[in-house]
Amino acid sequence: MTENKESKETKFKELVSYSEPALRNNSSVVEYCRTSMSALSGCTAGILGLTGLSGFIFYIFSVLALWGLLLFKAGNLWQKYFLNRHSLLTGGFFSGLFTYVLFWTFLYGMVHVY
Amino acid sequence: MAELVLDINIRGWVFLPIVLITFLVGVIRHYVSLLITSQKKVELTQVQDSQVLIRSRMLRENGRYISKQGFYMRRHYFNNEENGYFKTQKRAAPAQTAMPDPSMMTEMLKGNVTNVLPMVVIGGWINWMFSGFVTTKVPFPLTLRFKPMLQRGIELVSLDAAWVSSASWYFLNVFGLRSIYALVLGENNAADQSRLMQDQMSGAAMSMPMDPKVAFKAEWEALEISSHKWALADLDNEVLNVLLNKSIK
Repeated sequence: MTENKESKETKFKELVSYSEPALRNNSSVVEYCRTSMSALSGCTAGILGLTGLSGFIFYIFSVLALWGLLLFKAGNLWQKYFLNRHSLLTGGFFSGLFTYVLFWTFLYGMVHVY
Repeated sequence: MAELVLDINIRGWVFLPIVLITFLVGVIRHYVSLLITSQKKVELTQVQDSQVLIRSRMLRENGRYISKQGFYMRRHYFNNEENGYFKTQKRAAPAQTAMPDPSMMTEMLKGNVTNVLPMVVIGGWINWMFSGFVTTKVPFPLTLRFKPMLQRGIELVSLDAAWVSSASWYFLNVFGLRSIYALVLGENNAADQSRLMQDQMSGAAMSMPMDPKVAFKAEWEALEISSHKWALADLDNEVLNVLLNKSIK
């Protein structure tokens, strides 16, 4: 067993115990935030009339902004709420993209096509 | 490619209605399926089996927080050769009959009524009602390969691929509104059409309940090889360290 050789720091980290329902609740709340964010940023992009690559860059920017906001909200204690920061950024990227494209197309059509 | 100018009336009578129809049909489907689904009956032994499995899994995962004696006591309760729970419980394997029981059939029928029927009916109706309109333009360039996908119903060779026909606008809505349903109706709503595909795929597996015997055997094995490793052995020093660090700071 290599367990004993590990330093105190890592050993203490191994002791993470978490409550499954609470984690699930957190991730569903984050999912709500993400859907709202992609819908709102889609609206913004549509009204601004972004086309082509700049629209997708705007989406990536909004995802990053949401990530930053979530981490800002969680503060130093993000380990208390989420298992890792990584999945907070990447999770639900494509379902959010669908929503974003829909709203983007919708408002772009409403404002700029007609 | 010159810009097209679309009639304002297309926006009012085609573009917006399709969005509204798609959204409201999803909401209606959610409530209709709430209305007609019946509460699933669960047998007592089934609940017992699943709860025991959950308990055993928790013991395996979090056993390091209880004392050694506690851990082995619990493991003994499950795995003991003479009268352990996993050893003594003899569950008959579910009958592997070709004909699943009729209540399952009505369940599946109800699922189909709320899922497949609206999709076919509304899709067909939109196709018929709003056929032939160029509704909108997606704000990003697309290759020619997307033309048959996005311009269903308008066969214009020279039209840019970014323009979308009404039928395709409907499908864009169906896919894009999925997460909005989760926002509006809460999770696990019935409006989601992707669940329908999953249901169809796992339909065969679902109609036959899992064999508890196999699950018990697997859990027994997993529990048998898990050994106790107390996580809190060094706790007093750990706490002292934390306290010392704090007082130094």
